[in-house]
Amino acid sequence: MFALPQKNFRAPTTCLGPTCTQDMDRSHGDDLEGECSRKLDQKLPGVGDPVMLSSDTSYLSSRGRMIKWFWDLAEEGYRTYHMDEYDEDKNPSGIINLGTSENKLCFDLLSRRLSQSDMQWVEPSLLQYPDWRGHLFLREEVAKFLTFYCKSPVPLRPENVVVLNGGASLFSALATVLCEVGEAFLIPTPYYGAITQHVCLYGNVRLAYVYLDSEVTGLDTRPFQLTVEKLETALREAYSEGVRVKGLILINPQNPLGDVYSTEELQEYLVFAKRHKLHVIVDEVYMLSVFEESVGYHSVLSLERLPDPQRTHVMWATSKDFGMSGLRFATLYTENKDVATAVASLCRYHGLSGLVQYQMAQLLRDRDWINQVYLPENHARLKAAHTYVSEELRALGIPFLSRGAGFFIWVDLRKYLPKGTFEEEMLLWRRFLDNKVLLSFGKAFECKEPGWFRFVFSDQAHRLRLGMQRVRQVLTGKSQVAEDPHPSQTQKPSDQCSSAELLKLCFSPGPPSPIKQN
Amino acid sequence: MSENRYGGAGQPAGASTDTWSISPWSDTHPVPSGQVLRDQSIYTQLLEMMLHLRQTMSEHFVQLMSRQGLLQEQRHTEAIREQEALLDRLLCQMINLLQSGAMSGLELQVPLPSEDSRGDVRYGQGTQLSGQPDPVSQLSDCEAAFVSRDLSNRGIDISALYQSKSQGYNAYQKDKYHKDKNTLGFINLGTSENKLCIDLMTERLLESDMNCIEEGLLQYADWRGQPFLREEVARFLTYYCRAPAPLDPENVVVLNGCCSVFSVLAMVLCDPGEAFLIPTPFYGGFAFSSRLYAKVELIPVHLESTITAINTYPFQLTVDKLEEALLEARLEGKNIRGLVLTNPQNPLGDIYSPDSLMKYLEFAKRYDLHVIIDEIYMLSVFDESITFHSVLSMKSLPDRNRTHVIWGTSKDFGISGFRFGALYTHNKEVASAVSAFSFLHSISGIAQHKLCQLLQNTEWIDKVYLPTYRFRLRKAHKYVTAKLKSLEIPFHNRSSGLYVWINLKKYLDPCTFEEEQLLYRRFLDHKLLLSCGKAYMCKEPGWFRLVFADELPRLKLGMRRFCDVLEEQKQDLRVKQLKPPASQPASCSGTP
Repeated sequence: MFALPQKNFRAPTTCLGPTCTQDMDRSHGDDLEGECSRKLDQKLPGVGDPVMLSSDTSYLSSRGRMIKWFWDLAEEGYRTYHMDEYDEDKNPSGIINLGTSENKLCFDLLSRRLSQSDMQWVEPSLLQYPDWRGHLFLREEVAKFLTFYCKSPVPLRPENVVVLNGGASLFSALATVLCEVGEAFLIPTPYYGAITQHVCLYGNVRLAYVYLDSEVTGLDTRPFQLTVEKLETALREAYSEGVRVKGLILINPQNPLGDVYSTEELQEYLVFAKRHKLHVIVDEVYMLSVFEESVGYHSVLSLERLPDPQRTHVMWATSKDFGMSGLRFATLYTENKDVATAVASLCRYHGLSGLVQYQMAQLLRDRDWINQVYLPENHARLKAAHTYVSEELRALGIPFLSRGAGFFIWVDLRKYLPKGTFEEEMLLWRRFLDNKVLLSFGKAFECKEPGWFRFVFSDQAHRLRLGMQRVRQVLTGKSQVAEDPHPSQTQKPSDQCSSAELLKLCFSPGPPSPIKQN
Repeated sequence: MSENRYGGAGQPAGASTDTWSISPWSDTHPVPSGQVLRDQSIYTQLLEMMLHLRQTMSEHFVQLMSRQGLLQEQRHTEAIREQEALLDRLLCQMINLLQSGAMSGLELQVPLPSEDSRGDVRYGQGTQLSGQPDPVSQLSDCEAAFVSRDLSNRGIDISALYQSKSQGYNAYQKDKYHKDKNTLGFINLGTSENKLCIDLMTERLLESDMNCIEEGLLQYADWRGQPFLREEVARFLTYYCRAPAPLDPENVVVLNGCCSVFSVLAMVLCDPGEAFLIPTPFYGGFAFSSRLYAKVELIPVHLESTITAINTYPFQLTVDKLEEALLEARLEGKNIRGLVLTNPQNPLGDIYSPDSLMKYLEFAKRYDLHVIIDEIYMLSVFDESITFHSVLSMKSLPDRNRTHVIWGTSKDFGISGFRFGALYTHNKEVASAVSAFSFLHSISGIAQHKLCQLLQNTEWIDKVYLPTYRFRLRKAHKYVTAKLKSLEIPFHNRSSGLYVWINLKKYLDPCTFEEEQLLYRRFLDHKLLLSCGKAYMCKEPGWFRLVFADELPRLKLGMRRFCDVLEEQKQDLRVKQLKPPASQPASCSGTP
């Protein structure tokens, strides 16, 4: 579960040398997923330089140095993309990004809506210190919105809503108020890898993985199926390793699988959590991005009775469903007053502008526009893009998973890895990048099996076409680039750990981990 | 000295529960009598002990399990786990009971519409923001113990710290004065907020250049802040701080508020348990921000109001005092990483001369200390004869790689609801480390565009905004100080910031922090929110901060209530002084 070499935890500097490049690439993929699309053109000093970790030359605290080191690694990798970003006119041979999960299909609709006159409003209370949970008018709108779209059997209440500047902040705040340092959340893998940083950076909370695999065995009906049995096993293992598990994180619709849990499944997971007194954080950030009508999506808030309402905490945001990741708006819904209050106590540090809160309230209130204009169009465009990419993949004879939700397809490229190692996965990912298309690889999602990739399809047709063309070139061996064996990466990946894992362990300021090396 | 500190953060974060609870605010609650206060401090201590015990035991069990779990049988492990669960549950219940007791003792008695509100509001209101009408059930039964078990220890601490700190503010939020709708509501002269120029700001923000929706604003962007905004901030600071050379946008990081900037700086400059020096009285938010995530201690450099051979003016900061505090802290084994300065000072309104500033910076350089300078009030200097010197205006900084400047629009532009704070540091390493946190403190692209437009329009700022703003500040200040003079209340007469630092010692008998609290409480009972000196870690009881940056009608009403309270207080003192002195607490130190 935490199969980490002990040396990495005790003395992080020891892994800086030979694994540097590898870790960089790992964090690279992870950070594409992790929203880290920063645009930097200047090389920062000390990137990947172990010397910077020595306290003699640094102005930072030891945790500051560690955090910065990981950040720079991510940045270094990501710079490749941003220095050569595709632009139809200015840089047609630049890199196409099918790695970051962003919905770029509906900017025209959003721009029109957000430019309407009702959005431009200023009043004194919007300019002054707010109720840190979020302005009441917005929390009321959020409650109504979620009641309607989550099909809640009872009206949801504004006092159970807390508004923050993004899902990352919300994960961070929940981890801090629900767990002590070093405690853990269960999470089924593959999962949205950035959560590792979100719960770790301030909270020093770790993740205990529930590994799912692609093979359909036993009672499973589909690949990567989550079952209570697997949850129980993972929990037992965590306990046996001395890891205190405080909760379970579920992403529904799932990222990167695109799976949607049935009500029965959801109910089973929740009952499991209740049995073990675990909190459940349900991240429903893609709930309105279910574009296949045949898929019946059920929010956890639609359940008649929650097994353990005091320990069930729901997250939603506008980043994905409304394609506004730069707007920084996320919301918590929890019936647990203590949790809501504790999260709100942190909101001074994770607040969003009053004017933006007003605009969000206006947007969420406009049910006509959402139902008649935005959602039908968004779904139609997502569906078209999805159809295009899946047909391309079928034509190439590539297996993939996709259930009609989210912005991505989980693609099985295992047949392109002769030895089936993560090292080869990395090399393949690099070949894609060399051929100017950026994807996310399975390791960034802590996928157990090497060879899975996530393709984001929610981009404009011209970019998508070009991206798929470049993918095809690589897979059919017709790419223009010479194959580069990248000798620096010949180490066995099994000796290493992902940067996320290292980050999680290295700068933890708490007492030494109870995890024992075995 | 040490008992006045934000004590005891010298442990790893994992064992930090007790440090949380010894908060500067734990004894700032309004309480009705000395007896209850003593009870309350017992409760608080017990609460701390219990929290600590719980933490210790849970750690012990984790260790126990990890050592034996692999060696011994499942049954053994299960027995340990059961035992742990039992102990944990018991302790939780005890904590809850104590907490409910403490809370009821601490409870800010929010005046309800009914006359006899004190008896009704026993739990609840202060601990719940939600306005749920079932306050009593919150902490009184088994279910309550169960509920609180949902939070981690630090979650409980964060909640308690925040709640205790913001009781007055929350009461105000729920019951704000409105000239038509709620004439009996709270007047807030406690929160440092600039409400003088809402008309100008509203007009400006409604102009067409403010509204822009571009694809880049709605998508993931540079987490340090959009390049256009960082460029604008650099240009703005170059101009208004009179920097000798153009400031570099690469040295700018923007986050959602100055408290976020300070909190992140504490994270990246200090390890848990390390400390900053900070002259008192200081803005209480620093204490909250340094403890919350970073677990960094603030070591006060106590300044005094009396003028002596060393003090040429009240609350003067000298290098001697800095040295003394530093050496004393080092003797106690503290690792001091930096010095925090606010210029213009909050709550004093002092402005450091370039000479003094240079001395402080040289002191810091001598001891390899970082200097965090918060210049959030830099444009709120309203006397034209006074020149503010930003640290960025200095020709050469003694230690530019350890000098970090914070500025934001909250005060100078009166838009605290905008959530914008900027860091300027020459140290690329620090800028980059701060950036690593920025995805947790990011600002909406739409708001970034508006901020950029605002800062860009220097003509409007220079010709319209600043002259009007300063004129109004001056007027409000004049009004308030005239009132204070007529009441013969001494105050720190300065010309910057949104507040006056006033001395109400003569209304306290004895002059203790308990009495200061009681007076604070009395103001609240009269629907007037002020800030008391204890919240600023002032060493001497009896000081209050009065914010005057409010519109005149509200300010007038506030001052009327202020006078009423003091009149009432004076009357009470007369009665009290007639009683035999035996029942009076003897101490004047004030800290329980």
